[in-house]
Amino acid sequence: MMDTPPASTLPPRTPHKLFSPARIWAIASNTLLELVRLKVFYFLLLFALLIIGSSAFMLDFKFQEQFQVLKDMSLGSMSIFTWLLSVLATSMLLPKEIEDRTLYTILAKPVPRLEYLMGKLLGILVLLLISILLMSALFVVALYIKQQQVLADAVQGVPPEQVQAVIRGVKASSFTVSLIPCIVVIYIKSALLASFTLLVSTFATSSIFTVIVSFVVYFIGHVQGIARESLLSSPHTTALSKIFLAFVALLFPDLRLLSLTDDVVAGNAISSTIFLKTAGLGVSYFCVYSLMAYLIFAFKEL
Amino acid sequence: MTKSLVAAAAIGLLFGMAKLPFEHSLEQEDRAAFFHGAKLSLGLRDQVGQLGFLAALSGFRSLVADFLWIEAHTAWEGTQWARMALLFNNVTTLQPRVLMFWDMAAWHMAYNASVAAFNDRRQPRKALRLRAQREYFELGKDFLVRGIENNPDRYLLYERLGIVERDKFGDHFAAATRFGQAAAIPGAPAYDKRFTAYELSHCPGHEREAYERLLALYRMGKQEWLPTLLERLGYLQAKLNVPEAQRVYIPPIRPGQKP
Amino acid sequence: MNDKILEGEASGPAISIRHLTKVFPIPFRRERVVAVKDLSLDVLPGQVYGLLGPNGSGKSTAMKIVLGLVTPSAGQTQIFGRDSSDVESREDVGFLPENPYFYKYLTGEETLRFYGKICGLSGSKLRAKIAELLKLVGLEDARDRRLGGYSKGMLQRIGLAQALIQDPRLLVLDEPTAGVDPAGSREIRDLILDFKSRGITVLLCSHLLGQVQEICDRIGILSRGVLVREGRLDDLVAIENQTELILENAPPPLIGEIKALVEGSGARLVEARKPHTTLEQLFLEVTASGKETNERPHERRKE
Repeated sequence: MMDTPPASTLPPRTPHKLFSPARIWAIASNTLLELVRLKVFYFLLLFALLIIGSSAFMLDFKFQEQFQVLKDMSLGSMSIFTWLLSVLATSMLLPKEIEDRTLYTILAKPVPRLEYLMGKLLGILVLLLISILLMSALFVVALYIKQQQVLADAVQGVPPEQVQAVIRGVKASSFTVSLIPCIVVIYIKSALLASFTLLVSTFATSSIFTVIVSFVVYFIGHVQGIARESLLSSPHTTALSKIFLAFVALLFPDLRLLSLTDDVVAGNAISSTIFLKTAGLGVSYFCVYSLMAYLIFAFKEL
Repeated sequence: MTKSLVAAAAIGLLFGMAKLPFEHSLEQEDRAAFFHGAKLSLGLRDQVGQLGFLAALSGFRSLVADFLWIEAHTAWEGTQWARMALLFNNVTTLQPRVLMFWDMAAWHMAYNASVAAFNDRRQPRKALRLRAQREYFELGKDFLVRGIENNPDRYLLYERLGIVERDKFGDHFAAATRFGQAAAIPGAPAYDKRFTAYELSHCPGHEREAYERLLALYRMGKQEWLPTLLERLGYLQAKLNVPEAQRVYIPPIRPGQKP
Repeated sequence: MNDKILEGEASGPAISIRHLTKVFPIPFRRERVVAVKDLSLDVLPGQVYGLLGPNGSGKSTAMKIVLGLVTPSAGQTQIFGRDSSDVESREDVGFLPENPYFYKYLTGEETLRFYGKICGLSGSKLRAKIAELLKLVGLEDARDRRLGGYSKGMLQRIGLAQALIQDPRLLVLDEPTAGVDPAGSREIRDLILDFKSRGITVLLCSHLLGQVQEICDRIGILSRGVLVREGRLDDLVAIENQTELILENAPPPLIGEIKALVEGSGARLVEARKPHTTLEQLFLEVTASGKETNERPHERRKE
């Protein structure tokens, strides 16, 4: 009875697929369903929508650049909301499943850990995408309303031959094509933060720890640029500060680079090179953080 | 489990090293396109303090700037000039690429606060009031100078600075320089070129250069034959003793004036 | 032993554990916890195997290693000949963890659909399977009710259903009747016996020894990570030198005669009394029929 028995010759009933998008999507849609039920999602979304919606009507200062405040508030809300959502929602994904033991039921099925993680990430990404699309739609509506208001004021008392030019001018400063790359980069940044939060949650002992670490990294990420430039250029820093600067520069993402909002609102045109490089940087951070998360999760004792 | 932690950390570190040069080059490219405002020429510690403040706001920056801006206008209604200056400083730090902030800040300082300081009856000594007025001129100029540092690619602030130099400091040469800088930027209005020439025409020793410029503008056609241009042209023609045959413009004789 | 078990022996064990050792290091301390020490056992196809032991005995760890959730420090575990670390091995296994919650916002049917999808099932095949399993575990009426509204017993049953969604040949059940009332408990145990009759192998971990005794063929007892007893249940619990006779409608004179025979042969009559039914039996009979009498319970015996 204790000798090595002959291996079974019977094949399993369902043929095993090495990689199955259907499996990943099943997990992703379940994750999405779970997250959409989170109260914090509703509060945050409602708040963001309120801000965007109301910015069309409030702050009717004549001396303001008409669209600036609206764009600032809307894009700012989008950025903050997706940041908060990505960190808060992702931080509880794994701990909750481990605590409820649902993770065991899933991984006891023939689901590779890689697909499980991909499914979770995909669920978050879809949630963020839906949120951004909703907010962008409302933003466009608010911008349109504002544009109509401004147009009505602007054409008063203008001689007929100049009306077209005035209308063109107003329209050019409301909807600029640079808004699209700006929003895309906001999305990529939130995806990056989600993947980073997932990474921390694979070895963190509690969700609170994950959230705090992610918040801290978010803030430090906005000053990483100085550390990096200082490290690369200044010759006079001491060895100790060089080590510290290297630590910050290597380990933290430069989140300031991953934001085109200020420049878009100020009226700068975004060249496609800068957009592609910025987007590419964000996407590669996302991929690396996801890979690191997988490495840790794949060998985690459950 | 420890092995995988180490592997993940190694990947993170390798990626960290690979991304540094890329981030650096992207930063350079951003600077070339004047994103994020001018590089602060402060020491590291001050930079961290400054940018730490910015980082703490991160995505909130533009919102806070807008609200501070509105507060500055409330301060204006209460004629709290010092508070306005402080708020304007914060707003322009937060949003260095928004021209309006620099422009309006300078205007408030150089045109409104300065007048209030000059008319301030609480200060009986005129010399001190003049000095206060001058200080506000300088404050306004400073906003424009810093604004230009952060926005060297746009003409507006050069132009505004030219006007301040002309109207508040009476420094025609400085004004001419600034109008010239504005005119050099693509998209600048046509009058910047004219203003450069006008200001230059008031500078002793630069009459010839001013005359050449005005002549070139005159030759561009009727749209340039504005009263001031013609007047300055006539003045310089007389000053430089340009031969009659070469004079392109003959000023009309006013009643009572000798030919 | 029934035919299915014999057939199983020919094709290899359902679970094969060889010299399994698992050591957990305690972070920041030099000591380590030895959860499982040199464990070797086989679970043959078609058997119901009970893995028993007190808390901390290592049975949960061993189970998790078999399921590939934890990696062993030494030794090997296989499911139907496939190493546990191989994802494919889990095509053959259904797992019901202890006190599972599942997703409270999903209905019974949606839960099964989710697990079916991650097992690669879809379409009409999945729908048919869901209907079949809901009927099997007796939850057809609750199929559209959210799991948040299920009782403990219902949760365990839906758990069993999800474990079976991909038609596994092996079921691993961790405390399947813990916290369930006697009626629900009986239903689950009946289900397990039903699985056995279909040839499904069952590995069972439980504290509730009385229930285990009713359904297991073989048991293994773990204590502090070491297998201290292993074998056929009947063999292990039988008191070797005693014989039990149960008589129906025996008149007192007959009892006297038997007593005399026993004393004459040199054996000892340990006890002569009326056999008891179990308290569980009484409870079930009384609560099922709703009777409020002092009628004595029928005597029911294990077949």
